[in-house]
Amino acid sequence: MAAELLRESFEIQGQNFEKAGEVSGEIKVILRDLGIEAASLRRLVIVAFEAEMNVVMYARRGTLTLILTDEDANLEVRDEGPGIPDIELAFKEGYSTASDEMRDMGFGFGMGLPNMKKNSDELKVESEVGIGTQVFAKIKLNSNA
Amino acid sequence: MPELKHGFKIDADKCNGRMNCMRSCPTHAIRVKNGKARLIIELCIDCGSCLGLCPTGAISATTITFAELDRFKFKVAVASPALFTQFGLKDTPAQVGRALLDLGFDAVWEYSVDIELIDRAIMDCVKSWPGPFPLISNSCPVIVRLIQVAYPSMVEQLIPVEAPREIAGRELRRRYSQELGLNPEEIAAIYITPCQAKTISILQPAEEAKSYLDGAVGISQVYNDILSKMRKVTSNEVTPKGLVGTGELLYWGSPEGEFPELSREHYLPLTGLTDVIKVFDDIEKGKIRNIEFLECHACPGGCIGGNLTVENLYVARSKNLHLLANMPKPALEFEKEVERRYAVEDFSLRGSVKPRRIEGEVVDLRERVTRKKRADELLKALPVLNCGLCGAPTCKSHAEDAAAKRADLNDCVFLSPHRIDVLRNLYKK
Repeated sequence: MAAELLRESFEIQGQNFEKAGEVSGEIKVILRDLGIEAASLRRLVIVAFEAEMNVVMYARRGTLTLILTDEDANLEVRDEGPGIPDIELAFKEGYSTASDEMRDMGFGFGMGLPNMKKNSDELKVESEVGIGTQVFAKIKLNSNA
Repeated sequence: MPELKHGFKIDADKCNGRMNCMRSCPTHAIRVKNGKARLIIELCIDCGSCLGLCPTGAISATTITFAELDRFKFKVAVASPALFTQFGLKDTPAQVGRALLDLGFDAVWEYSVDIELIDRAIMDCVKSWPGPFPLISNSCPVIVRLIQVAYPSMVEQLIPVEAPREIAGRELRRRYSQELGLNPEEIAAIYITPCQAKTISILQPAEEAKSYLDGAVGISQVYNDILSKMRKVTSNEVTPKGLVGTGELLYWGSPEGEFPELSREHYLPLTGLTDVIKVFDDIEKGKIRNIEFLECHACPGGCIGGNLTVENLYVARSKNLHLLANMPKPALEFEKEVERRYAVEDFSLRGSVKPRRIEGEVVDLRERVTRKKRADELLKALPVLNCGLCGAPTCKSHAEDAAAKRADLNDCVFLSPHRIDVLRNLYKK
């Protein structure tokens, strides 16, 4: 495994829709200022935002950690929340347990996990009902030395 | 990459280091060291926020002068529709066009045709675009440069269609060289511009192709002359001079395009950098869905709010509404010309827009991460009051400059109190 260059963690507050998106915004600025090339940056920001929104929508709290190596960027999300009973089902496009309020706000259309999968090179979801969910996403960086 | 050019210059002799420019710059592209402002050219997006703010007038737009036009045999004005909003309620676009002829232009191009053509090309492009959405308009050069510098992941969303002023330049050169038997190089296509940013899009187009225009003259540069020429014309009668366009068709084409075929839900018009940035932040996260096309202008109020306009934005807007309300139905001639040209011309963008590399070219990712960590560390020693006395707009930018060894961290007056005396001497008048 490539050597770790940078690790930064951010707290995400569950149910705080007003602040939703701030963490992915910060991550974007860090990666952009580091000159990560456009295609990878685009995918990273989308994955970070979807991950952040999942925590905001369903969990009590969570942390999003960005780990950067020479070769890839990794996002680790760990939340305290209800967990996902059937992960396979959660990956189906359009499947969602979002409330009507969430949908009114433009979220919860069941595209979160599918979108994350589409935009990452590796995606792993582990969950324990009643405890929380952990998501690991890896996005390869194109050679941009 | 060739050296970046900009639509304005800072006159070091006139600059007395008041820092207004540095504080207003949205991309933190200006530093003031030893009492003189200096530009970090890779960061500048030509928004012109600094232009009107300099108390000593040291920053000026690089537009061209009439003397520079003398080398051309036939000079054609392509006037931004914003020009017609700058005069009295009774002054018609045709009169303004006539005044441009009196000023020495040999023709005033019927630019509304090109605007209509590009509106159509944009709609066709939006309809057949496979994604990603939303597509973003590219006619404002500042928006294009903002994306290159601050939203590199969104460059592919810039609509790959030429700006209307470019295809105007192409067509007028073709037409007049044919009709007058002139060499295309003997014809000048001059844009009458509401902002200095259009100059840079002519000098150095972001898509790395050559502009079809030869230069830009600011509205404020010709304002007085147009006004005096117009007042001398007693009759409203406009006499066409042979082939020369006289501006009867100038009514069509508001400063902001209109896309009636795109539904309101799928089309967002945005003006003002602050608001554009808010929306771009949301787009980058994938938060904005169901929007197909964003029409973005960096100036609040769009081009009629450009920094080379003369009239107050709100008065200009009211004039524009007046023009639109009194707009005659499009002449058959106008529609025929649009149909004719739409069938034969290609409006797709030549070249492509790429993200602008800032430091990426010089150092590798590892070194960039090291610098970032060093900057984070150095920032802890700074007060985060963003006083600017070190010559950088924020403590964060000062820490970054120091981490990249472009500045000395000790320029901070909180770290080196004696710097207050240095500054006192420097600014003593």
